[in-house]
Amino acid sequence: MQRSDEELYRLMRKGDQDAFAELYERREPALYRYALHTSGSSIVAEEVAHEVFVQLMGAGARFDERRGSLESYLYGVARNLIRVVRRQGPVEEAIDRAVEHDILGDLITNETMAALHRALREMPDRYRDVVILCDLEERSYEDVARIIGHPIGTVRSRLHRARALLSAKLKWLNAPAEVLSK
Amino acid sequence: MNCKERIPGIVEYARRRAEPDMELRAHLAACSGCGERWEGERQLTSQFSIMRIRAQAREPMDARRESLMREFARRHKRAPMPVWAWAFSAAAVLLLAAVLGHATHSRVRENPVPAIRTHGVRTQQTILYEASADASALSADDFVALPYALPLAAGELVRVVHADLDPDVLASMGIDVDPSWASEVPADVVVGEDGLPRAVRLADSSQF
Repeated sequence: MQRSDEELYRLMRKGDQDAFAELYERREPALYRYALHTSGSSIVAEEVAHEVFVQLMGAGARFDERRGSLESYLYGVARNLIRVVRRQGPVEEAIDRAVEHDILGDLITNETMAALHRALREMPDRYRDVVILCDLEERSYEDVARIIGHPIGTVRSRLHRARALLSAKLKWLNAPAEVLSK
Repeated sequence: MNCKERIPGIVEYARRRAEPDMELRAHLAACSGCGERWEGERQLTSQFSIMRIRAQAREPMDARRESLMREFARRHKRAPMPVWAWAFSAAAVLLLAAVLGHATHSRVRENPVPAIRTHGVRTQQTILYEASADASALSADDFVALPYALPLAAGELVRVVHADLDPDVLASMGIDVDPSWASEVPADVVVGEDGLPRAVRLADSSQF
């Protein structure tokens, strides 16, 4: 039976390296992707995903099981780290540059994809988080509700609102030139 | 159902890449606003798929992982104990052992474990019996079950040892001892397989 995140955390606090490694393997990839979508930079995403675990193993880790799940705590740490990076200045937009050479550019214009990345990054945290977790990570509403600490109804309504905002931006970008010139 | 009420359905169908039901399909065909929303949602879902695939295509970061594991090991590595600490620990253990030994000895003296004192016992005869459910059944034969004795297991073999016992020993077993008894008293002692006494019977107190 798979051990819970919280159980692994308790073991790692006692010095169990295998528990720490298991926790890392389980959660680091999704944290990296979350940081990638949020920051728009793979370099920042790597740093953030790494730093989350550095902080977790540190003596100052303030995770408290009574206040929520460890997964929720890890996303919270990642979110704060990204805010710190953003305050320091604009991050390198590695994703957008990669799009320029993407073979899928035949299907969707580079401009549209870059705009979607930008629009996602510029959204308020509460909308962006549900888009990333529900639609990019494909997590269930129940999981996302647990992670962000809000009811399922709130998750669903935020997602619908966020998608409407993104659709509107894409629609504007995809509008024919004559419409835009009016 | 108005257009606003249909939006959640439109979003969920688009997210799941599913075909809308007949009723919604008919509405999408008739309502240009909802039709546009439907197309926008579908397009968004397609673009999210591409983003998802791209985000998962990541170079393995083994070096980062290894450095993290090394850091974990370093932080949890216990420093070797200095010589003075070993000496201190050994002294503490010896002191603790001495204190515990003294306390245990005192307790034994205060509550002596009832047993047959070997110097006061002269075994005359040993007979083996098979015990019934417990030692109290022996009371039918004038045996007095010792209050501290563990119950006998059914089928356990017991020995009845004929012995001369010091009156002090009998008293420690809970037997009513006449103060006038000065010499050792002949008695039968039921002894379990573990060698511990379970019951005792005085041979004939009238002769002392």
